[in-house]
Amino acid sequence: MGEAIVITSGKGGVGKTTTTANLGAALANMGHRVVLVDADIGLRNLDVVMGLENRIVYDLVDVVEGFAKLKPALIKDKRFDNLFLLPAAQTRDKNAVSPEQMRQLVSDLKQEFDWVIIDCPAGIEQGFRNAVAGADRAVVVATPEVSSVRDADRIVGLLEAQEVPKPLLLVNRLRPAMVKRGEMMDIDDIIEILAIELLGVVPEDEGIVMSSNRGEPAVLSDRSKAGDAYKNIARRLAGEAVPVLAVAEDGLFTRLRRLMGWSG
Amino acid sequence: MPRRRASTAAETSMATPWLDGRVDEPTLLVRRHLRSGQRVHYQGNVVVLGDVNPGAEIVATGDIVVMGVLRGLAHAGAAGDAARVVAAFRLEATQLRIANHIARAPEGDRPPQVAEVAQVREGHVVLDSLTQLYDDR
Repeated sequence: MGEAIVITSGKGGVGKTTTTANLGAALANMGHRVVLVDADIGLRNLDVVMGLENRIVYDLVDVVEGFAKLKPALIKDKRFDNLFLLPAAQTRDKNAVSPEQMRQLVSDLKQEFDWVIIDCPAGIEQGFRNAVAGADRAVVVATPEVSSVRDADRIVGLLEAQEVPKPLLLVNRLRPAMVKRGEMMDIDDIIEILAIELLGVVPEDEGIVMSSNRGEPAVLSDRSKAGDAYKNIARRLAGEAVPVLAVAEDGLFTRLRRLMGWSG
Repeated sequence: MPRRRASTAAETSMATPWLDGRVDEPTLLVRRHLRSGQRVHYQGNVVVLGDVNPGAEIVATGDIVVMGVLRGLAHAGAAGDAARVVAAFRLEATQLRIANHIARAPEGDRPPQVAEVAQVREGHVVLDSLTQLYDDR
């Protein structure tokens, strides 16, 4: 029986889809059986980032409506035999699915896979409720900006209400040089507000734009800073003790450990 | 052996006149962080064992005490009692309301790292160190 993880944030554009694609590819590369679920119905993106757009026949709505069986709707990845994608419907909207249907779908997928990774849409409405319905755990993605952290805080509160407790924090697009100059929030500032456990930090990386456009997750490259960070995060998710990437120098890790011990 | 019985509010009130008659006022204890979008509205006092984050809101007819960082909105004495206070270990609220008085945090100032209390004096919301609450009353 696998574990279902929803990747969520509240705010749009902070890297939920990129995170879903990269964690999925990294876990698959480690030999786990992984399925990615695009819950952003009406605005599907995950297939593009994975480079699987032209293979879609059935989608998530087809499956929950019983129009297609689950197995034929799953698209096998080009690179990994143990990585699959269940794409979102593009011609429907969020109300086409209910939280109960999602819970059933995710529970069916958990029978077959080690990891079910759900890409949550931005916002806090129906799409959010659908995406978190079947999740065992949540990863909250935030960028070091006040607006993103504010939305992440809202999401953490809503996750508690939806009974997805103890979410993990992923800080995305951190720019260590700006943090050093005091121009960007640092990890401590973010954790002080959100008071949740830190899963990992992904540095800003221009290569992500290219890899997303090409449909090649960054973890597949050997020379991607963001890709390396995602590989570490995937190992941490799988239960390995991997130190948080030293993106922000001097003693950060010790301070983080202290904070994590205090909050967890 | 007779068990110790908790005294009733009326008894406490009689035995302790120095509690100025507020002993039986209802008080809500919130044992968690209040996060953005979460609201607590209460007839009485509110005590939070945790932080109140930006975008969270507490409205109470009585006093508000935050045993953590208050960064959200707090409105004490919401039914019009200007003698009510807002106290916090770290008072970093962007806006404070007591009865019909509204105060904004001064811009650019870094809040002091001490427990503070906000109260209305001469028609203005004033922040003091918590240790000074009763010194000049």
